[in-house]
Amino acid sequence: MTAPEKIKILYVDDEINNLVGFKATFRYDYKVYTANNTSEAYNHLSQQPDLRVVFCDQRMPDKTGVQFFAEIHKLFPHPVRILLTGYADIESVIEAINQGHIFRYVKKPWIDAEILSAIEEGNRYYLINSMIAIKNEELQEAYDELDKFYYSVTHDIRRPLLSIIGAIDVAQYIDNIVELKEMLHLMEESVKNLDIYIQNIHDYYNLKRGELIIEEINFDDIINVQKNTFDSVIRKGDIRFVVTILQHEFFRSDKPSVSMIINNLLSNAFKYQRNGEQDKFVKLDIKIENGFLTIIIEDNGIGIDKNYIPQIFNMFFRATTGEIGSGFGLYNVKHALTKLNGLIKVDTTLGTGSVFTVTIPNK
Amino acid sequence: MTVNKRNFIVIDDNKLDCFIEQKVILNTGHSNEVTLFLDANDAIDFIKNNLPGETEEKNIIIVDIQMPLMDGFEFVEAFENLPPACQDKYQIYMLSSSINESDLSRVRNYKSVKQIISKPLSIKKLTALIE
Repeated sequence: MTAPEKIKILYVDDEINNLVGFKATFRYDYKVYTANNTSEAYNHLSQQPDLRVVFCDQRMPDKTGVQFFAEIHKLFPHPVRILLTGYADIESVIEAINQGHIFRYVKKPWIDAEILSAIEEGNRYYLINSMIAIKNEELQEAYDELDKFYYSVTHDIRRPLLSIIGAIDVAQYIDNIVELKEMLHLMEESVKNLDIYIQNIHDYYNLKRGELIIEEINFDDIINVQKNTFDSVIRKGDIRFVVTILQHEFFRSDKPSVSMIINNLLSNAFKYQRNGEQDKFVKLDIKIENGFLTIIIEDNGIGIDKNYIPQIFNMFFRATTGEIGSGFGLYNVKHALTKLNGLIKVDTTLGTGSVFTVTIPNK
Repeated sequence: MTVNKRNFIVIDDNKLDCFIEQKVILNTGHSNEVTLFLDANDAIDFIKNNLPGETEEKNIIIVDIQMPLMDGFEFVEAFENLPPACQDKYQIYMLSSSINESDLSRVRNYKSVKQIISKPLSIKKLTALIE
């Protein structure tokens, strides 16, 4: 086991003896940088962005410690600033603390225990602040995501509803039963797609918020579920669905994620079939060997235009017209693979078909 | 009041919407031919290669704004690059499921676009436009 990296601290003082003594005492527990003037201190601050605590003597020839801290407060806001001073300067110390330039002060000559406690307190303050910064970033991400969802709800969910409202309105003028039935069929498709869309949002949130549960995966179970899911599509579309499983070893991973990946890729393979193709097929190859799961899903459908490949894994991106997609499926696949340390590769030709290859390491 | 019959081109990637828009147009009784496209690229090709004959009224293009591949605005840009003789035969109405300010101001930059209509298209809305 490697020891955790030492906390970096900086001590600025014009008296060399103080610097030497300080370093000798604290170098075992901390990574100590010293500077006997402020320009040297600036060098350390810019070269060591992860300095956590800065001590500075109040009385120095070129400027006071309070002045120095007031300067670095803006330029290097992250390190915690602690002033070293005697009682004579107490007025300026109080003012500096009140203005927020320094975290606390230690009186000179110092006792080791006071310095140690100042470093520990300063470090704790530093960590809390960094944590707030990280939380703020996470909050920003969550806000951005909410914006996307606002957009999604107002556009993608509303659109099929408007279609159905329009259809109901038009139906009142149609007397032909065949036409009415055709319209009912289209309305049904619209509603089903809306349902799939909502299911995808559910998957997205499970992935985003849920913890991975690593367990042994039985691929026969997953395949049986998929066969049931796509049964009517396979029969209606007269599509050959060929599954091969080659399992040399047990495979452990997060089952819901692996199922979701297979389901989304299969759903695309079945959806984007080519009209007029005599021998429509979807092939699913599952192989587990040498610590890796490899899933290959191949179809001879419409394929994907090369220009769109860099974008197909983006949220809400769609590369087709006609068939209704949510623009969520491949985004969820990619996202799950990132969590599982997996990879995805696509090999496709417009008008010929697509091959998606997924690899996921065994846990 | 008599209204001359017109030809329509409908461009919408959603099959159900395309169907609705076709039915609405047919039911207004003001249409000759209605040609449907799910992909705006195909519509541009069609318009380029099929110059309509002389008619009193302009032909009408109804195009959805939110489409993948080529969206409604991209379609209008491509349309405005066609020969003027071809453009003169048409006027464009854009359809949107959510009309926002930026779309409204954007549409003012295109001389060929008459108006944005909110989805779904209905007989009432279309009749109001034509008459």
